[in-house]
Parts: sequence; C-alpha cells; structure tokens
Amino acid sequence: MAGTSSDALKTQYGARVAALTAALERGDDAAFLAVLDDLVHTRRPELFNELRDLTSNLKVALDRFRLDARLADFAEKEIPDARQRLAHVLKLTDEAAHRTLDLVEESGPPAERTARAAETLAGPWMRFRSRKIELKEFHELLKRMDAFLPAARADAEQIRRNLSELLLTQGYQDLTGQIIRGVIELVRELESALIELTRLSGAGAVPADRASPASRGHGPSVPGLTQGEVASGQQDVDALLSGLGM
Amino acid sequence: MSKDTKFLVVDDFSTMRRIIKNLLHDLGYHHVTEADDGNTALPLLQGGGIDFLITDWNMPGMPGLELLKAVRADEKLAKLPVLMLTAEAKREQIIEAAQAGVNGYIIKPFTAETLKEKLDKILNGAAK
Repeated sequence: MAGTSSDALKTQYGARVAALTAALERGDDAAFLAVLDDLVHTRRPELFNELRDLTSNLKVALDRFRLDARLADFAEKEIPDARQRLAHVLKLTDEAAHRTLDLVEESGPPAERTARAAETLAGPWMRFRSRKIELKEFHELLKRMDAFLPAARADAEQIRRNLSELLLTQGYQDLTGQIIRGVIELVRELESALIELTRLSGAGAVPADRASPASRGHGPSVPGLTQGEVASGQQDVDALLSGLGM
Repeated sequence: MSKDTKFLVVDDFSTMRRIIKNLLHDLGYHHVTEADDGNTALPLLQGGGIDFLITDWNMPGMPGLELLKAVRADEKLAKLPVLMLTAEAKREQIIEAAQAGVNGYIIKPFTAETLKEKLDKILNGAAK
C-alpha cells in the first residue's frame, strides 16, 4: 500500500538500520552508538522546523483572533456610530448655517426701516434747527418724531437680539469639532488595525488609490493631505487664469 | 445686462445656495433659480430663460465640470456665461475648467467683493 513512502524510508534509513542491527549482533558498541547518533542528527532539524512552524502558526492565529475581534467591533459598532456622528455633524452645521441666514435676513428690514425713517426726518429737522420751519410742518415733525423714537428703539432691539442669537448659533463649531475629533481618532485606530491585518496576511501589497475620476472633483483641499499644486487663494486663481489669457 | 439677469445657482448644499442667493439679492439681482446638481440644472437651462450660470464643481450626480461641458456642447447654451464657485483648488482643475470654457472661477471660501467683481467682469464682457 504505502509503496512510495516506505521505499523512501528504506532508501533514507535502510542502510543505517542494517548497520545498527549488525553492530548490535557483533557487540560493537562504539559502531552501534555512532550509527544511532547519526540517525538522531538526521531527524532533529526536521523536528525543529516543524515545531517552529507550529508555534509561529499559533502566534499568527492568536494575533489574528485579537485583530478579528477588534475589526468586528469596528464593523459592527464603531463605523456605524461614526457614520451617525458625521451625519449629525452635517445636520448641526446645516441648521446653524440656516439659522444664521434667517437672522441676517430678519435683521435687514428693521435696519433699513430705521435708516429710511431717519432720512425722511432729516429735512424737517434741519429746517426746525435753522428756524425756517412752518408751524404746520413743525406739528407734523413732532408727531413723526413721537412715532419714530419708539419704532427705532424696537427695531434696534430686535437687531441686537438677532446679533446675540447669531453669536450663540456659532456654538455649533464647538460641538461638531468635538465629534469630528472623535471620528479622526477612530479612523486612526482603524488604519493601524488594517495595516496590522495586511502584515499578518503576509501580503505586502499596498492598497491601490481609490480610483475616482478627476472630473468628479476632490472636495476642499485639506492642508497636508491634498496632493499636487493647489491654488492658495483667489489671487492665485486669477493669476493662473490671466496666464491662460482669461 | 441689467439687474433683470436671470441666474441659476447650482450647488448640492442648500446653505451655499442660500448664501449665493442672498449675495445676489444684495447686488440687486432678484431673479435666482436653484438646482442641486448638473442633472437637475441641465433641463432648467435647456428650458430657456436663464442668463447666467453659477455652479459648484463637486456634486453627487452630475458634477459641475460635466455640466459646463454639456452647456458648451449645446448649441443654444454654448454662449451662456458660466461662473464656477467651488472648493476645488488644484491648479490642474482650474486649467481644466478654463479649457472647458468657464468664464470665471472663484474658490471657496470667498467674499462678497470677489463675487461682485467676477460678475461685473463677466457681465460687462458679455455686453460688449
């Protein structure tokens, strides 16, 4: 049955086993021990190799198990969490920007109203100051002044309230900043876990750049991250375009 | 062109559309239509009545550069003034947009003065 393997064993050990038996029968202790030592030497490196492989496999398996548990945690919990946190950042910034725009839009009309009313009062007021006002116009001026003062005060108070709220609205930066920092930390951890995984799987291959057609755009440039020449500001853009004849 | 100029503002962020719309209002332009990417913008442009296109670059669906190319490829729209208002700041991209026929290029964050300056330049150039 095991023709080939026992043939190989015969070739490798046959002569030495025969020499061993012969030495034993002859009572030649020295020859017997020499052949036996020789046999043991032949087997030892193979045993060591096997043992080494076994321990190294065990270590990889243990490392992998630890890493798998960490990656499972990333996949099941932390990445979905991060996605949710980022969606929240988007929501907060969206709300803050709209609230800011609401307040700016609401502040325009009272400011304009006050400015216009003050402008129409200026003429009669100057005539009054230079004592060239008619009695009828003077009475009208008094009435308009009576209306203007509380209205101007109410308008200015509204603008002041809007400015205070504008100030508070900017608090979104603090909140979103903290969330984003947390996500940056998570990405860093995920990165090291993936590097470790690549190392364990023995594939030295570096993941290819995510191919994205340039026509889609790259998003805002991030200092230290964006590759290639980036215009530093509008002046740079203008200079570049005028160089192209625009 | 007059203050009756009809603008189409294309940006995927509604806040940015609002900011641009408000700035245009401050400059006296009150006819502003909005779209959130090239796919929604193109039919509006082809429907006629738009005098000026302001577009972002990086948008889901059809990005701004493709919209610009589609506009230039359309016989009826080929001469429409197009201002790109985007965070895309790579030199090669600015050159690419110029080659595709953009009339002006503003990078975010931008100022109201920059917008006014570019609009005036393009509108005065178009009136000549």
